[in-house]
Amino acid sequence: MTLLYGVNKVKVTLFITCIVDMFQADVGKATVEVLERLGCEIEFPMGQVCCGQPAYNSGYVEESKDAMKKMIATFEHAEVVVTPSGSCATMFKEYQHIFHDDPVWRPRAEKLASKTYELTEFIVDVLKVEDVGAKLNGVATYHPSCHMTRLLGVKDAPMTLLKNVKGLKFEPLPNAHNCCGFGGTFSVKMGNISKQMVDEKVDSAEMSGADFLIGADGGCLMNIGGRIERRGKPIRVLHIAEVLNSR
Amino acid sequence: MAMKIGEGKFKDNVNENMQDTFMRGAVAGAQERLRTRRLDAAEELGNWEEWRSHGEEIRKHVLDNLDYYLHELTENVQKRGGHVFFAETAEDANAYVREVVNSKNGKKIVKAKSMVTEEIGLNQILEEEGCEVIETDLGEYILQLDEHDPPSHIVTPALHKNKEQIRDVFAKKLDYKLTSKPEELALHAREKLRQEFLTADIGITGCNFAVAESGSISLVTNEGNARLVSALPKTQITVMGMERIVPTFEELDVLVSLLTRSAVGQKLTSYITALSGPRQEGDADGPEEFHLVIVDNGRSKILGTEFQSVLQCIRCAACINVCPVYRHIGGHSYNSIYPGPIGAVLTPLLGGYDDFKDLPYASTLCAACTDACPVKIPLHELLHKHRQVIVEKEGRAPISEKLAMKAFGLGAASNPIYGAGSKMASAMMKPFTKNDRISNGPGPLKAWTEIREFPAPNKERFRDWFKDHEKGGSGQ
Amino acid sequence: MIHHRDSFLTNVAAQLGRSRNTSVKPERNWKFRPQDKTLSGKTPDELMTVLRDQCRLIHTELIETTSDKLETVLESTVNLYGGGPISLWRDPRFDEFGLGELIRETWPARSVEVNEWDSFRGKANIAEAERANIGITFSDMTLAESGTVVLFSSSDKGRSVSLLPHKYIAIIPKSTIVPRMTQAAQEISRRVQSGETIPSCINFITGPSNSADIEMNLVVGVHGPVKAAYIVVEDR
Repeated sequence: MTLLYGVNKVKVTLFITCIVDMFQADVGKATVEVLERLGCEIEFPMGQVCCGQPAYNSGYVEESKDAMKKMIATFEHAEVVVTPSGSCATMFKEYQHIFHDDPVWRPRAEKLASKTYELTEFIVDVLKVEDVGAKLNGVATYHPSCHMTRLLGVKDAPMTLLKNVKGLKFEPLPNAHNCCGFGGTFSVKMGNISKQMVDEKVDSAEMSGADFLIGADGGCLMNIGGRIERRGKPIRVLHIAEVLNSR
Repeated sequence: MAMKIGEGKFKDNVNENMQDTFMRGAVAGAQERLRTRRLDAAEELGNWEEWRSHGEEIRKHVLDNLDYYLHELTENVQKRGGHVFFAETAEDANAYVREVVNSKNGKKIVKAKSMVTEEIGLNQILEEEGCEVIETDLGEYILQLDEHDPPSHIVTPALHKNKEQIRDVFAKKLDYKLTSKPEELALHAREKLRQEFLTADIGITGCNFAVAESGSISLVTNEGNARLVSALPKTQITVMGMERIVPTFEELDVLVSLLTRSAVGQKLTSYITALSGPRQEGDADGPEEFHLVIVDNGRSKILGTEFQSVLQCIRCAACINVCPVYRHIGGHSYNSIYPGPIGAVLTPLLGGYDDFKDLPYASTLCAACTDACPVKIPLHELLHKHRQVIVEKEGRAPISEKLAMKAFGLGAASNPIYGAGSKMASAMMKPFTKNDRISNGPGPLKAWTEIREFPAPNKERFRDWFKDHEKGGSGQ
Repeated sequence: MIHHRDSFLTNVAAQLGRSRNTSVKPERNWKFRPQDKTLSGKTPDELMTVLRDQCRLIHTELIETTSDKLETVLESTVNLYGGGPISLWRDPRFDEFGLGELIRETWPARSVEVNEWDSFRGKANIAEAERANIGITFSDMTLAESGTVVLFSSSDKGRSVSLLPHKYIAIIPKSTIVPRMTQAAQEISRRVQSGETIPSCINFITGPSNSADIEMNLVVGVHGPVKAAYIVVEDR
C-alpha cells in the first residue's frame, strides 16, 4: 500500500453500514466530507449490503454467510476500507475466523481484515491527523461502544480527535464502560432488560450535564437516541463523524 | 437445592427481579467497587496481560492433560493417607459422602463454602439422612438461615440481601436482639458458629485448586471458616470439580494470584490453606481422616468440544462483576447457582437446553466478561456458540425468527432485494412516521418502539446522495 | 483407597480424543512467567518497605524491632491486646530470640496464662487455643507483596494457634522475608520434588480474618482472629 499523503490522494473505499445507509444518511455524508477534506478520494461500491452481524449474532451463522461473502467480494479490491462503525469494522475482522476452515474464503477474509479501519482509527493511526479542524460549541460526553473498545481495540482515537474540536467541553460519562443495552436483536428479544440498560445510560448522560452525547456506532446511537427522545431528554445524540464535520 | 434453583421462566424471573430496587442498587454498587478494586490490583502488577496469558496457558495445559494430573493427584493423596472417590454423577458423589458420614456416625456437619456441593445438592441429601448441616461462610450462613434462599453470586452469595433483612433473619432464627450493623451481625455469627465448629463430627469443604505433585488441596477464604472446618472435626470430606487442579505449587501461586485479585482485588485473601492428607502422626489438630471426592457431573462431556475453555474457569466472578445484564436482573433470574456470563455458558452445558436455553441470549455480547476473565475464557464467543447450537443443531429457535433470519440472509446478500427493500422502506414506513420518528411501529418494530423511538428511514438513502455527490465531483 | 479411577480416567481421555496417559509426565513449556519479574531484584530494605505499605491495607499492625528489644516489644504488644491467656507453638525460635524467660517466668509470675502446644496432650491444646486471648507464632516465610506469613504446621506447631485465639501475633525474623508467594511456592515445590513430606497444613495468613458478605461492608474479624500484629525482628 503506497499512501503518499499530501502528494497523492489516499483512495478510501467506504463501507457505510446498512444503518447509516438507511437511517443515518447525514452520518454518511459527514464521513465523506471529513475524509475528503483530509485529502482522501472516496469510492463507494454500490454492491455493498449488510455485513451480516444481526443474523450472525443471533446464532444464524449459515444464513449470514452469503452476506459476508458478498461483502468480501465487494471490498477485496480496495486499498483501504473505512467504516464509521466500530462494531461493523469488528465484523469485517471476524470474517477470517468465521471462514477459518474454508480454504477459498479464509485468505480473502484475512486480506479484507488487514485493510479495514474504523473511521477515527483511520484518521489518527493511518492519516496521522489528530485535529481535523472541527468546531462545535457546547458540553459533550462520549459513550465508548463495546465492540469498538473491547473487540476492535480502538480506545483512544475518538477522544484524541474530539479533544481537538474547538468549542467543545468534555464531561465524563458515569459508568461509561457499561453496554447501552443495544446488542442487535437483544434490544427486542430481551426488551425489558435492554430498557433498564439504556435507561441507566440515558440517566448517566443526563448526570454528566452534557448537551451532546457522542458515539461512534450507529446501533448504539439509535438505541440511546431513541430512548432519549422517548423520555424527552434535552440531549442531542451525535455520531462522531458529524462532530468532526461541524465547523 | 441443586444447580437449578427455581422453576420460573427466565422472562418471568427477570420481570420479578427487576422490581427489586434494593437488589439492583446493591448489585450496581458491588459491581462498581469490585470492578475498581480488580482494575487497581491488576494495574499494580504492571503486566496483567502477561499474568492472564500465563493463567490461560496453565489452565489449558491442565485440561489437555487432565487424566495424567488426576492420576498424579490421587496417587499422592493416597500416599498421604487420604481416600479418593471418583464420582461420575451428582448421585454417585452424594452417595459416597453419605456413606462416609454414616460410617462415622456423623450427626453435625460444618461446611465451608463450596459451589460444587451446591451443584450436586449435597446438603439436602445429608439433611434427609437426619444430619445437621451448617454452612459457615457468613453469606451462606445467612442464606441457610433464611429458609435456604439460593445464592445470587458465586463469591458473595448473599449480595441480594440488605442488612435489615439479615437482622430480621437473625432475630427470628437466632434470637438476635442487636442492630443491623454488619460488625454486630458478624460477631453474633462468629459466636454462634464457633460452638458449631468445636462440636462438629464432619467438616466438608470445596477445593479452589488441588496440587497434583503433592496431593494437596488449597482453600482460599477471608473469613477463616475453611480453616476451622479443616482443623477441628475428626473427618474431613473435600468435594472438587474434576478440572480444579494445577501441576505444582508454582502454578498454584499464579492461579491464586489471579483469583484473589480478580475476585476481590486483594493480593492474597486472609487465608490460603494448603492441606495434604489427614493430620500427620503427632499432630494434635487437623482431621484424622480425609476423603477427596472428585466430581464429573457433566464436565467430561465438555472436554474436547468447542466449549472446553469454559472449564478453565477459576470461579472468581470477575465476569459477573462487570456484566451489564447481571447488573439489572441479579443472580436469581438465571435459575442457576452459576449466574452471570459464566453461568450463562456453563449452566446449559451442565443442565441442558430444556431448562436453560434462554441464558445464552441474556447478553448483548458486549465482551466485558471476556475482557475481565483472568484466564482468558472467550465468554462472549461461547455465548454466541450456544446460540449457534440452539439454532443450527438443536433447531430450537422460534419459527418466526427462523423465517425472518432466512429472509435476512437472502435480502442482505442480494443487491436487488437489499436495494429495493431499503429504497421502499421510507415509503412503507410513512403511515407510521411522524416528525421523522416512528413511535408505534408495526410487526418486528413493535418491540423496539415499545421502549424507544425508531428513526424513519431516510427518504434519500446515503447511496442515493453519494451518486449525486460523485457526479458533482469529489471533494468540496 | 481410590475408587472408580480407571473408568473415570478412561472416559476423560476418550473425551480428549486420545488414549489414557498416566505415565508420561506432560511437558510444561510455559510461554510466560510473569511471577519471576514481580518485585525481583529488591533489597531486603526495599522489601521491608513493601511489607510496611501492605500491612496498612490489611488492617495489620507492623512493629519493627531488633532482637535485643524483642522481649519488651512482645510484652507490650501482648499488654496492648489485653494480656493472656496466651497460646504458643513449641518452637525453639522463642528461645533463640531470647523470649524464654518472658514465656516461662515473667508471664506466669504475673499470672498471665501461657500454653505451649504439646502434641502429647492432644485435644487439650485445641481447648487452650480456643480459650486464648492471643495466639503467637513465628513466621516460617514472609511474603512482602501481600503481607503474608507462611506457617508450616507440625506436631509442635498446631494449626489452631493462629486461628482460634481472639488476636494473633506473628514474629517475623527479617531473614524470612521474600518478595512474594512465588518464592514460597518454589520452596514448597522443591521440598516435594526432593521427596520430603511436606506439612499436612501450610497456611498463608494475611492479616486478621474478615468478610464483606453483608452489603459489601468490610468487617474485620469473623471466624479467625479479629486483630493481627506482625513484629519484624532483625536477626541475631
